Amino acid sequence: MYSLKLSNICKHYTGTLLFKDISFELRPGEVLAITGWNGSGKSTLLRIIAGLVRPSLGKVEMFMGDEPIPKESRRKFLGMVAPALALYDELTALENMDFFCKVRGIAYDRESCLNMMERVGLTENANKTCRNYSSGMKQRLKLVQALLHSPPLLLLDEPGCNLDSNGMKIVEDIILEHRQLGMTVIASNEKREVDYAERAINLSE
Amino acid sequence: MRSGRWITQNEPLTYLNEATAIWLRDLRGEFRTRYAVNSILMFAVTTLVAVSFSIGSFRIGEAEKPFLCSVLLWIILVFSALSGLSRSFVKEEEAGTMDVLKLSARPQAVFLGKLFFNLTLLGALQLIIVPLFILLMNYKIASPGLFAAMIISGGLGLGAGTTIVAAMIAQASARGALFAVLSFPLLLPLMITAIKGCERAADGMNTAGWPEVRIAVAYTVIMIIMSLFLFPLIWEE
Amino acid sequence: MIIKVLLSIWMAVIISAAFLYAGAAAGFPGQTSRILFFHVPQAWIATLSFLLSMIASCIYLARRSVKTDHLALSAAELGLLFCILATATGSIFARATWGSFWNWDPRQTSIVILLMIYGAYFALRSAVPDPEKRRVFAAVYSILAFVTVPFLVFVVPRITASLHPENTMNPAKPGMDPKTLKVFLGSLLAYTGLFVWMLRLKIRLLRLEGRQEPEFVISEKLKQEGEKG
Repeated sequence: MYSLKLSNICKHYTGTLLFKDISFELRPGEVLAITGWNGSGKSTLLRIIAGLVRPSLGKVEMFMGDEPIPKESRRKFLGMVAPALALYDELTALENMDFFCKVRGIAYDRESCLNMMERVGLTENANKTCRNYSSGMKQRLKLVQALLHSPPLLLLDEPGCNLDSNGMKIVEDIILEHRQLGMTVIASNEKREVDYAERAINLSE
Repeated sequence: MRSGRWITQNEPLTYLNEATAIWLRDLRGEFRTRYAVNSILMFAVTTLVAVSFSIGSFRIGEAEKPFLCSVLLWIILVFSALSGLSRSFVKEEEAGTMDVLKLSARPQAVFLGKLFFNLTLLGALQLIIVPLFILLMNYKIASPGLFAAMIISGGLGLGAGTTIVAAMIAQASARGALFAVLSFPLLLPLMITAIKGCERAADGMNTAGWPEVRIAVAYTVIMIIMSLFLFPLIWEE
Repeated sequence: MIIKVLLSIWMAVIISAAFLYAGAAAGFPGQTSRILFFHVPQAWIATLSFLLSMIASCIYLARRSVKTDHLALSAAELGLLFCILATATGSIFARATWGSFWNWDPRQTSIVILLMIYGAYFALRSAVPDPEKRRVFAAVYSILAFVTVPFLVFVVPRITASLHPENTMNPAKPGMDPKTLKVFLGSLLAYTGLFVWMLRLKIRLLRLEGRQEPEFVISEKLKQEGEKG
């Protein structure tokens, strides 16, 4: 049983305040949406949760039961998709997956990777180098990368960007499936995605 | 595909496995793009040709040769290394893959993987440049064993001293020049040591004990240990 | 304020004493030995501030308080200043006694490396846009640089062959003229006092500059709000 807790998160950067006093708690089965205008700090907040950016004030905690998970190992318990997170261009999709499995200390299983590729509709292109991928295909591969280690916390920053209607459908399926057991945070202004969330935080207010 | 597949083991072996994965990935990427190797090798070959062409093998007297050739060799090696060893980190930053690496790998594993990659590059560089230099400059080496040991231990030190600097400058602006500016003061003791060691190997006098090789090895070990401690601080926000 | 006045009086006394009270040491051409009263304390301050900067960097990495970073930066800046002074006075002495301004004496080599480390430290600081990262990187770099310094002892083994007049003018050794010793120790004290005064001034300046930055104001206000609520 995992949970995520943010208390009084504030971030300012070179003199401008992005947001302050962001506090919430998230439990498995819950979906939280973060909305706000461009530049309101949606991506930054997700990066703070992921541990890529240090908040100016406040803290992010993750718990396994009552046990706090140390910050260094938080990465094992979360998967993230964001426009700024790129995969390795000069590798093929499968090689990318192989690398992320090994680096995370998971045994690489070609079958299950292929299954996941099939799910996002990339089976035919699994052995193409990602340089030749379209931006929508890259986005699909990023989804696979985020789900590879079955994380209890999923951070989706504009998960639908560059995707066609089929792709959007895949994202919705993933959110619905993850909602059954895991925690999800979506940063988006897309109504279709935000509608899956029970709660929403608007950073522009 | 559902929960429960992550593994929370922490044995040292898993660090090595992860580091190896990063090392092999970098090698594979390098093999396909030749991002770093081209610049390092071309830099080295160009300098070597310039040195050999302008000085040649006869202009330096036999008495001066062990010392002067050793100086020239290490200047070529160190500055070629400084021209390209930062590439593996800079490329992660430029391609936008730095964050995904931060999210999936432990910092010490990243450091070790990048260190292995840089050492591979240095090994390749030395394998090509050192024999060419010996041939072109007609450099006679009285004690080949010591010479080889000095080249290898100097190369190890070069990699150990620059990898953490590369990680820092990849996250800074004005990367190109900064790498050499920051690395050089750290490398200077090693460079002077290596020059003395190669001089000793070339003239073949007082070779007992290989003191310079031992200093270079100590330098390597200390820099790696310090980097393993300090790297998480610059890698994680 | 009173410290500033006392310091300037003490400085003036030492400077006059260095030229009038203490005699020129034998074995050096003309009056050249008087450089002892200025050059050695400068070199001492350059080393001290390097050490201080490194220690402050370590503390910064452990505690992440902006104050210790201000200390590390101020010490490094003053260290660079005194390093340049020591190099300049040293090479003037070298010209007068050894015949050339620069000849890669082991002492000159080590001070040049120190200069390069300081240069690299400031280059790094100016190249990292994010203030938090800048402080961490600078601290990490100064620790790395400090670790490589002991290797210079092995690298420059001909330290005994140095032309540097250590043996003839070492104050710790008996045989130094008592008048010279008095002025030398006084000068050491004066320079250390000067260093401490300048250091505190520099830290205050950095703190005031920091206060003008809006981010600092905002975070301070938020902290106060947090304490009240």
